[in-house]
Amino acid sequence: MIMNTVIDAHNVSKVYNKETIPVYAVNNVHLHIERGEFTALVGPSGSGKTTLLNLIGGLDKPDEGHIYINGLDITKLSANELIDFRLKNIGFVFQSFNLIPVLTAKENVEFIMLLQGVKRGGRDKRVKQLFDQIEMADKIDSRPAQLSGGQQQRVAIARALATKPQFVLADEPTANLDSQSAANLLDIMAKLNKEEQTTFLFSTHDQRVIDRARRVVTLVDGRITNDTASVSTKHRDANEKK
Amino acid sequence: MVILIMAWRNIWRNKMRSIVIILSVAVGLFAGIAILALYQGMMKSRVRTVIDAEVGHLQIHDINFKKDYESKFVLKNGAAILRAVNLIPGVKLAAARSITTGMLSTTTGSAGVQINGIIPQLEYGISQLKRKIIKGKAFDPAKNNEIMIGQKLATKMKLKVRSKLVLTFTDTSDNMVSGAFRVAAIYKSDNTPLDEKNVYVTMTDLNTLLGISGGFHEVIILLKNDQDVKKIQLALKQKFPAYQVESWREISPETDFMVKTTDQYSYIIMVIIMFALAFGIVNTMLMAVLERTREIGMMMALGTNRLKVFSLIFLETIFLTLAGTPVGVLIGWGASTYFNKHGLDLSGMGRDMMSSFGFGTMVYPEFPADKLLAVLLIVAGTAVISCIFPAIKAVKLQPVDALRR
Repeated sequence: MIMNTVIDAHNVSKVYNKETIPVYAVNNVHLHIERGEFTALVGPSGSGKTTLLNLIGGLDKPDEGHIYINGLDITKLSANELIDFRLKNIGFVFQSFNLIPVLTAKENVEFIMLLQGVKRGGRDKRVKQLFDQIEMADKIDSRPAQLSGGQQQRVAIARALATKPQFVLADEPTANLDSQSAANLLDIMAKLNKEEQTTFLFSTHDQRVIDRARRVVTLVDGRITNDTASVSTKHRDANEKK
Repeated sequence: MVILIMAWRNIWRNKMRSIVIILSVAVGLFAGIAILALYQGMMKSRVRTVIDAEVGHLQIHDINFKKDYESKFVLKNGAAILRAVNLIPGVKLAAARSITTGMLSTTTGSAGVQINGIIPQLEYGISQLKRKIIKGKAFDPAKNNEIMIGQKLATKMKLKVRSKLVLTFTDTSDNMVSGAFRVAAIYKSDNTPLDEKNVYVTMTDLNTLLGISGGFHEVIILLKNDQDVKKIQLALKQKFPAYQVESWREISPETDFMVKTTDQYSYIIMVIIMFALAFGIVNTMLMAVLERTREIGMMMALGTNRLKVFSLIFLETIFLTLAGTPVGVLIGWGASTYFNKHGLDLSGMGRDMMSSFGFGTMVYPEFPADKLLAVLLIVAGTAVISCIFPAIKAVKLQPVDALRR
């Protein structure tokens, strides 16, 4: 039976400076993400978006609460177990591209598959498929330094999806991109969300991204203040018609 | 495999830095090989000198002779022994010596010496004595009471060719005897202490004074192959159980000790060189880890476990260290081969100082091919030790902190 709930965060809090003046980066957050969602975490700088993403991604541990990924409480996992869990279940897209500079675009996408022990035939097939989807088949052997910002980010998305993770976490994926590149990137993410039913959860304060999200969760001072579908449905509907 | 590829490509991200380290390793390795080659060449040369020009491969004495060098302990049936030894396959040459200790006196002073009574034609083949002559001529068969002395002794006693001196010693009846001799030649070897202590007269002249007629105290043997020493020593011990049969290692234990310990000293120096190099490698790798903190954090976030991160840094260090190895070995081989052919003149270090230890100033280094594996292990060990601290630094990174940088 496939569980529809991918991410289930209960009473999650993250506190800094506990001994002096405690600062709640994330404060008693409940968040429930279903399979196939295309959800944006929005809020001003310092609202806790990145911290919440890090907690959900197992990069950090909450001081209070639990986070269930497909029913597994990841707050109980050890550091090594979390590394293995992330490898098998989560795709990441970071703000600053974060491709491995000494690997080609193809090798960067293959990297996760190699870590998981995917055989060569499977890797080649999946790489071809992904590079066709991100429309970069001609750049497959280029190094990151030879790619534009938008192209690097597309490769990062392909890498995030290489082993068909449970969900993809993207932290400000369009922050360093120009408008055209950001729009292209969003199109690709939306297309992959639709075609592969991969859940996307991204943090952003980019209105272009917010407009494309089907659900918007607003964070202020570490708390969820609003959780709704995107107000601007025009653009979303227009894309679905394409 | 991808970690291997990444490690190799990573070391070339900063070409200049990597080249500096590679060259440092190459130079350090070259220095280590050069020292090994130099010592190996010097030791080989010293052993050659000891065997070919001083004590031979083997010596036979009466079992009591070497306690106090008393002249009464003559080799019984010495002539038969000498004949039998010359018939042994593997023996190149054997000679006989009469030996006693005494005083050499001149008008200006006296000195304690070992007096060697030789059969000139045999002795010249055994100890190259004739070739060592720097002033005067070899013994004239028509003359009696001629003596050859070392240059150090000649200088000390203010003696020249044709100078007169007196040798005084005890004969086989414990009577003090003396004889006047004239310096026929002054010789010089690479072993100054030996030159100072040893004088040579004809066996006939010495035996007359000692009162031992045709007898002698020592058979000195030169073999065709160095490797046959043990085998022939055993054969001689079985053939002549009543006598003392010694190899050059037993006769010159200080040389044997020097040969055995030289390798250890060389390795110690090599380890010290590589230890110093390790600091440079550690520094380079720490910088590389620091510069790539975010990248390493990203890799760990994606699911690269700590073992793989450790392996990445480990492999980068290994590649960096080993990349310089063939260069260092090649330069070391080239230099050793060149100087082995042409010789390395160390007279600038002081001829007297070198000869006081029994070494000539012309050294022929030998590439230590038999020690190459040990050298490579030292280099690999350096790489392993150098990688530990940077690799631990890398695996201790927390992805969430590293990504913030």
